[in-house]
Amino acid sequence: MQLSILVVSLALAAVQAAPGPMRARLAPVPIDLSMQEAIAGLGAATATLAGTSLAVEGTYKGLKSPATAVRVYDSPKPGIRGTLVGEFPSGGGTSGAFKGSVTLTREQAAAYGKGLLYVQVHSEKAPDGNLWGWLTAPRGQR
Amino acid sequence: MTRRHLGYGWITLVAAGLGLAIVSGPLPGLSADAAGAAQAPTPGIFTAAQATAGRDAYQTRCASCHLADLGGSNEAAPLAGSAFMNAWGARSSRELYDYIRTGMPPGGPPLGENEYLSITAFILQTNGARAGTSPLAATTAVPIGSVATGATPARAQASTPAAPAGPPGAAGPAPARGLYAEGEVPRFTPVTDQMLRTPPAGDWLMARRNYQAWSHSPLDEITTRNVGSLRLAWAWNMNEGGSNQPMPLVHDGVVYLTNTMNEVQALDGATGELIWANQVGPNRVVAPGSMRNLAIFNDKIYLATTDAHLVALDARTGRKVWDTTIADAAKGFSLASGPIVVKGKLIQGLQSCTRYQAERCFISAYDAETGALVWKFHTVAHNGEPGGDSWNNLPNTMRKGGETWIVGSYDPDVDLTFWGIAQAKPWMPVSRGTRAFDAAQHTSSTVALNPDTGALAWRFQHLPGETLDLDEVFERVVVDAGSEKALFTIGKSGILWKLDRRTGALLDFAETLFQNVYSDIDRKTGRVTYRADILEQKLDQWIPSCPSTEGGHNWQAMSYHPGTQSLVIPLSQSCMEIAARKMEQVPGQGGTSAARRFFEMPGSDGNIGKLAAYDVRTLKELWSVEQRAPYLTAALTTGGGLVFIGDLDRYFRAYDVTTGKVLWQTRLGTSVQGFPVSFTAGGKQYIAVTTGLGGGSPRVVPRTIAPEIRHPQTGHALYVFEVGDR
Repeated sequence: MQLSILVVSLALAAVQAAPGPMRARLAPVPIDLSMQEAIAGLGAATATLAGTSLAVEGTYKGLKSPATAVRVYDSPKPGIRGTLVGEFPSGGGTSGAFKGSVTLTREQAAAYGKGLLYVQVHSEKAPDGNLWGWLTAPRGQR
Repeated sequence: MTRRHLGYGWITLVAAGLGLAIVSGPLPGLSADAAGAAQAPTPGIFTAAQATAGRDAYQTRCASCHLADLGGSNEAAPLAGSAFMNAWGARSSRELYDYIRTGMPPGGPPLGENEYLSITAFILQTNGARAGTSPLAATTAVPIGSVATGATPARAQASTPAAPAGPPGAAGPAPARGLYAEGEVPRFTPVTDQMLRTPPAGDWLMARRNYQAWSHSPLDEITTRNVGSLRLAWAWNMNEGGSNQPMPLVHDGVVYLTNTMNEVQALDGATGELIWANQVGPNRVVAPGSMRNLAIFNDKIYLATTDAHLVALDARTGRKVWDTTIADAAKGFSLASGPIVVKGKLIQGLQSCTRYQAERCFISAYDAETGALVWKFHTVAHNGEPGGDSWNNLPNTMRKGGETWIVGSYDPDVDLTFWGIAQAKPWMPVSRGTRAFDAAQHTSSTVALNPDTGALAWRFQHLPGETLDLDEVFERVVVDAGSEKALFTIGKSGILWKLDRRTGALLDFAETLFQNVYSDIDRKTGRVTYRADILEQKLDQWIPSCPSTEGGHNWQAMSYHPGTQSLVIPLSQSCMEIAARKMEQVPGQGGTSAARRFFEMPGSDGNIGKLAAYDVRTLKELWSVEQRAPYLTAALTTGGGLVFIGDLDRYFRAYDVTTGKVLWQTRLGTSVQGFPVSFTAGGKQYIAVTTGLGGGSPRVVPRTIAPEIRHPQTGHALYVFEVGDR
């Protein structure tokens, strides 16, 4: 009985601690004017954490070349490049959608809750990154 | 004291200077060894005809910012010598062409493909690349370091003409027009010292209207209730070319308007009728080409020119009274803001102090009657001076920056004038030869000076050793906040600083938007601690920074609304990565020496523009609004409970100063840029604002990260609004 209560309590705590869905506006990575011909577009992503699995889906449009991959990174602070968490294929094309998941460590899950993970869409002309955006709680919930 | 003859005489002077350069050898900054080096071995990638055409195109379209000798100025990078090679030697000719084609001229109408190609060829030739038989094409991709050495061949120097005197795109030199429209202001009343201390409600007699820099009009005919009926009373087209960011003066219903190309016009404030116009000149874009403010005192209007002169005009007729040289424009110095008049003295800043040379930046004062120099305060500390030990023992000639490109304010009660001083140059310590902990005094500071003597009363350095071009040079606003004798300022970092204006002690600060540059800001002292990777920066390493060089806050001044005791502050939300480039510390070189890439600020939802109100007592945000387009004018608050401000997307709006709710808006001919003012003419209240193009980061950043915001590439104008029937 006591064990059951403990398990339920831990489960509830885990549910309460898990950050809710996060969203990201996807916009071009750092560019100068001369890079606009290769790097352009906009998109949006949403992410949901279930256990250690972070499900990510989103859309993009206006790329200058077909999308190739979607990667999730862990940054030290918003606006600063970070380390790769995981990746999955994009839907291809210069506009389209993507859906996939990456597995987070406990530290990465904590970083997710702090708004430090970012989603980056890669493309043929921008193999190092085309669009990116930090996953944050919707406005009003931050 | 007398200005040298303009127009063709100026051409002769510059041509003579270039002739001297031909005789004496390489361009400044090039060693004799480098200049004498053998031609690059790779076959020519452009033709001589292209380079010749490019020389002409460059001098017409590029030299106003990058200067005739390709030496660069402010954000316009050097295009010759080691500074150019350090930035571009490892990149390809195609990248250079693409960079020029996609970004130049900033904010201006684009050139044709052949012009871009020929300008690229000219730059390569100027850096030692030799001509060949095949023309440069858009697809030509050769490492620049394989064809150019940075050494300027004598032939290229010999063929480099003076910058033309006409506006961009004009054929041939055009002398300044002088007093080309004659007339006389009726019933002119001299402006007294007392009027400057307590401006008449319907006048706008100085930058930001009062000594305290409030950018506030007490007029209350236009209110929250009737602003919805605001409509155009009249409009006036202004000179095109250069950066248009003006703040009109108004006295007795007459609008005094500074135009690009160093021209002043007097207009009837009720009708828009021209009374007189005097183009003092030079009749071309010099440096960014903007002149933000005029000054008025007694019977004279004072114009600071972009080639670093201070000129007095008869306010009644526009006739020139005197002309004083502030600094030598041939050495890169320029002006972008005019003076403030305090007790019969014109106190004036200085811009473009980036070149390695003996002269350094200063604030100076001049007799308003005669133009005679009264005092100078040097903004960069040399060896043996207070703060002189904060530059890592750099030779005095290598201590650059410290510009004062925004006019200061004044508090008659404590009898001090307050000025912001720009950052050290080059922007990043690893380029300029200082260490992370070298404060580089007196840059990135507020200084309080005795207006009679220029003596330093106190100094507060906001960002010691500033390292990311996060300027702290902007407006200093004098406000009594409760019992506090406060002085407010905010820079690109977005930190709103509250100082005791009697002593310079920090009273408080607030962060107005997201930043990731400082890991700590000491609550007691305001001392910032940079992120570790910024302190450990290396050449060519991309360093992320939020905000970007757009600011945070930039030259678009905040307004103090006394009714709500709030500061209404235009802000921008963008970020960047910045990489320091190597800078050779040789005389004649110098510059900002960094490359930048921009991106949207995380968490901003792509909203670059932010307008926010802060309680001056608590520094709490009272309200804020955000939008995609950045605001490009100062905020103007009025006694009618309104805030007026314009943006890149051509909107000019009125907000409720208590809530931030939009009450009125209109859309103008091009981006709304400058300093809105309010005045009376014929007993009626008007709101005036300018449209304009051009500028540094506040234009380059949105052009890079918000290219979908489009506007005409012409349209400098003054728009004047009224309520009620005409």
